[in-house]
Amino acid sequence: MTAKAKNDDRHQQILNAFQSAIGADNVRDNPATVNAYFGDFLPPKILGMSMPPEFVVLPNGTMEVQAIIKICNRYKIPFIPVGSNQWSLTGSPNRPHTVIIDCKRMGKIHEIDEKNMYAVVEPLCTLAQMQAEAYKRGLYIGSPEASATASCIGGHVFQGMWGVGYRLGVAYRNILGVEWVLPNGEILRTGSFSQDADNGFWGEGPGPDLRGMLRGYAGAMGGVGMVTKMAVKLHPYPGPKVWPVEGMIPNQTSVLPEDRFKWYMVKYESLEDAVNFMYEVGRAEIAGVIQKWPTVYYIMWWSNSCEQYWTEWQKRTFQDNVKNAVGVCLWGFSSGKQLEYEKRVLEDIIKETGGKPVKQEVQDMWVPRQANNWIRDTHGSRMMRASGTFLALRLQTDTLKYAIDHVRQGYEWVDKFSPPILDSDGPDWIGGYDFGHFGFGETDFPVEKTPEAIGDLMGKLLEMTKQDVQNGLENGIGPFLGGVYHAMAGPVFGYDRLLKGIKKAIDPNVVSNPPHNFPIEN
Amino acid sequence: MAKEMLLPKDPRYLKYPLEAPFDQEKARWIAFNCSRCSVCKWVNSWQVKSAKYARICPQHTKYLYDSHSGQGKCDLALAIIDGKMKWGDDPEIKDILFQCTMCGGCDAMDKNIRDAELVKMYRWMRAEYIKEMGPLPEHKPMLDSLKQYDNVWLQPRMKRNSWTKELKDLGIKDLNKEKAEVLLFAGCTYGLSEELKGTVVNIAKILKKVGVDFGTLGDKELCCGSPAEKTGNLAEYERLGTANIKKFNEMGVKIVLTPCAGCYGTMRVAYEELPEKMNFEVLHVTEYLERLTNDKKIKFKKEVPVTVTWHDPCHMGRMGRPYVPGKDLLGVYEEPRNILKSIPGVELVEMERIREYAWCCGGGGGAFSGFKDFAQWTARERIEEAKDTGASMIVTSCPWCETNLRAGGIGMEEKMEIVDLFDLMMQAL
Repeated sequence: MTAKAKNDDRHQQILNAFQSAIGADNVRDNPATVNAYFGDFLPPKILGMSMPPEFVVLPNGTMEVQAIIKICNRYKIPFIPVGSNQWSLTGSPNRPHTVIIDCKRMGKIHEIDEKNMYAVVEPLCTLAQMQAEAYKRGLYIGSPEASATASCIGGHVFQGMWGVGYRLGVAYRNILGVEWVLPNGEILRTGSFSQDADNGFWGEGPGPDLRGMLRGYAGAMGGVGMVTKMAVKLHPYPGPKVWPVEGMIPNQTSVLPEDRFKWYMVKYESLEDAVNFMYEVGRAEIAGVIQKWPTVYYIMWWSNSCEQYWTEWQKRTFQDNVKNAVGVCLWGFSSGKQLEYEKRVLEDIIKETGGKPVKQEVQDMWVPRQANNWIRDTHGSRMMRASGTFLALRLQTDTLKYAIDHVRQGYEWVDKFSPPILDSDGPDWIGGYDFGHFGFGETDFPVEKTPEAIGDLMGKLLEMTKQDVQNGLENGIGPFLGGVYHAMAGPVFGYDRLLKGIKKAIDPNVVSNPPHNFPIEN
Repeated sequence: MAKEMLLPKDPRYLKYPLEAPFDQEKARWIAFNCSRCSVCKWVNSWQVKSAKYARICPQHTKYLYDSHSGQGKCDLALAIIDGKMKWGDDPEIKDILFQCTMCGGCDAMDKNIRDAELVKMYRWMRAEYIKEMGPLPEHKPMLDSLKQYDNVWLQPRMKRNSWTKELKDLGIKDLNKEKAEVLLFAGCTYGLSEELKGTVVNIAKILKKVGVDFGTLGDKELCCGSPAEKTGNLAEYERLGTANIKKFNEMGVKIVLTPCAGCYGTMRVAYEELPEKMNFEVLHVTEYLERLTNDKKIKFKKEVPVTVTWHDPCHMGRMGRPYVPGKDLLGVYEEPRNILKSIPGVELVEMERIREYAWCCGGGGGAFSGFKDFAQWTARERIEEAKDTGASMIVTSCPWCETNLRAGGIGMEEKMEIVDLFDLMMQAL
C-alpha cells in the first residue's frame, strides 16, 4: 500500500470499520503483511500484473464474513476470499483497494456424521486434515494431485479432479449443503442447511439447485461471494486408519494393504490402445483410479531434486518405459474378495486389449513412491521442480476418445514454441472419470521462468483461445479460467447472459473478486 | 537422431547451487522460486494424522497471517532485494523475522517439493536486517554476554567450570592440559544453569563409569556460537565458531560430544560453512551412549516404571545434518528412542508430530529471549500434544527445549514432567 493510501481518510474509515466489526488484531494494512498476499508461480505475479491488497482481514464465522462483505459494499471495494491459500490462481489482487478475506480463523470441522457419511467443514480445513479424520472412521475423501494441502471447500468448488473421482464422482459432485455469504452480504443456505443450519446431509434445492452458481467446471473463483460452511460427502474406505508411510523426506514411500489395493501399470503400443483399455475398464465397472499420466508427470512427482529430475530425464527412464502406459488402482471397497474379482476381470481386459506390464523395475520406482498421490497427494507441488514453474495448455472435459485429439493438438503447439517451453515428451494427461463416462485431458509442460518467456507464451495462449472460441471451442477450454474466459466462451454456448444476470443480481456493487465470475464492470 | 533435449538455460534448475555462498543472489533465487504452494505451513500431507495436529509452523499457527510463514518470508525477501521495500518501512518486519524459532519445520516440508534452504535464507535476512536496523534490543544482553564472557547467560567465565566441582573425585581430565580422545562439550546452558547442570554431571558419571577416555575444557569452554548465528549476528558467531574449531583441532580430540541439541546442530551444520576445517567428529551424547548401550557397555539395572514420550529437538533432528538435495533429512531420531526402549519399565509412546515432522518447543532462534509469550505458547501446544499420548513425562535432550517446555507448562492445569534423557538413564543405572 502506498503512503498516500495510508494517509487517506477513506482508508482510515474502512480500517476503522473492519476493526470495529472483527477486532483490531484481525485486520492488517501494513506493507509487510499485505506483501504476502499476491505471490504465486503463475503468470500474473511473474508478469507483474498482480498487486498487494490494501487490507487483509481474518474473520471468524459467517456473521463476521457478512460484516466484512457489507463494509466492502458500503465502500465499493473488491474482496477476494481465500481458503488455505495453496497457490493463488485467481486469488491475487488485480485491482487497487482489494481486501483479502483470509480464513485462518475458520478451520473447524463442525461435524463428521459417520452413519450418513458426510462432514461439515469451514474454509481453512484442508483435504489432508479431512482425510486424516475420515480414515480414522473408515471413511474416505479424495484429494486432487495438485495437493491435499488445498482447502477442502476450495478443492470441491474448483474442478476437483481427484483420482478416485473415477469411482466416487469428481469433487464438485460431492458437495452437499452449503452456507455462503453472497456478494451483497446476504446469507444463503442451500440443501438441508436451508431447513436446519446444523444439518448438511442433503445438497439439492430448495427450488433450483443453486450449487451450480458456485461450482461449475472450475468454480466461481470467488466471484459469487464466500462459502463459510460446506457439507461434503465421505465414502467407505477399506484402507488403514493411519496413512502408511515409510522413509523420510524427500524419499518417502507409501504402500497400501495388498488385500484391498492393487496397482497395475499397463503399457500399450499407441495412445488409442491405451484409451481403449480405459474404456473397457470403465465398462466393466471396476477399479478406483485410472489415469494415463504423461511421462513428464512421472518425473515431476518421482524426482527428489532438480539434479535427479534432469539427470533421469536425460536417461529417458520414463520416456522409454511408460509412454502410453495406464495406471489402474483396484480397490476392494467391500472385501478382499471384491479385489480378487476385479483383478481377474482386469487381467482379462489387459489380455484382450494387448496390454503389456510396464517393466517391473520401473513400476517399482513409481508405485511405492508416487502412485498413491492419486489417493492422497503429498507431492503435487513438485510440478515446479523442473524450472520453477509450469504452464498448462487447454483443459478438456469430453469423452475419453476426444482426449486423444486434444492432447495431440497440444503436442504440436508445445513443439512449435519450444523453447521457451522445455523438454516434455508430448505431455498427455488423460484421466478417466465416472467409470469412463467422461475423460479429462490436460497438457502441462515446464517452461523457462522468465517474464519474457512467460509473457510471450501467455500472448500466444490468448491468441489460441480466441481462435478456439471462433472455432466453437471444439478443442477444449483454454487456461484462462474464470470471468474473462466466460465472457469469451459464454456466447458460444449461450450461457453468458445467465452468468451476467446472476452476477448483476447478487453483486450489484461488483465487489466479489471482479472480473469473476463474469465481467460486468464498465 | 533424437531431437536435442531442451533443458533450462539457468543452470540452477539443473542442479541446486549448494556450494555457492549464501548471499543476496542465493536468497533471491530461493524466494523467487517460492510457488506459494503452502507446504511450509502444514505437516507433509502423507503424515497428517489428525486435523488437530496438522500444522508445522508455530509462528504461522499463532499469528495466522501468511506474512508470518515461510512463504511470507520469501515474499518479504523478494520485496527487499528488488528494492520494493526497506527493512525500516514497517515495524512488523522485526516480528516477522525474529519471532520465528528457526526450527526448520517449513524448511523440511519445503525440501520435499523443491531444493531450497529456507532457514539459511532467514538467517541471511536477519543478518541484513541487523546491518541496517541494529540488533534487537531483546537480544542485546545475550550478545553483550557473548562478547564479554563468551557465554549467553551473563555469567563470569570462571563459573563455567562450576558443574565439574562435584566430580573432582572422578578425576575428569582437563583438556587444556591433558590429552583425551573425547571432549565433553557441556554448552552454556547445561554448564551454567543451576537447574540443568545436574544433567551434564550425570553424563560425565556415565562416561566415567563405562571407561570413556574423555575430558572437558573447564572454564575455557566458549559458547558454540549458536545463539549469535540463529539471531543473525554472524560476526560474533564466526568469532566463536572459528575459535572453537581451532581449539578442538589443536587439542587433537577425535570426538566432540555434546548433550545440547543447539550446540550439536551448530557444530554439525553451521561449522561446515566456516573456512576452518574440522579434524574431529561431532556427536550428540545420545548417539554415543546408544552405541555403548548396543555394545552392552551400559547396562540398565533398575526398573523405571513410566510412560514417556520423546520430543525431538529441531537441531538434533531435521536441522542436525548438512543439507544434500535429494537425500533423506537425517538426524538423531532413532538413538534416543532406542535408549528409552532399552530402559526396563519405560514405555515409549509417540506424539503425532515426530522426527522431521516434529512441532518445535518454541525456545529456539532467539524467540526464548525476544518473544517469551510466543515461545511459551508454542511449548504449551507441544505439551498438549504430549498429553494426548497418555504419557506422563516428556523426555528430551536439549536444554532450550527443557527450559522452554517447563516455562510453558507453568499455569497449565494438568502438569507434565519434563525430563532429560540422561537423568532418566541415570535412574536406571
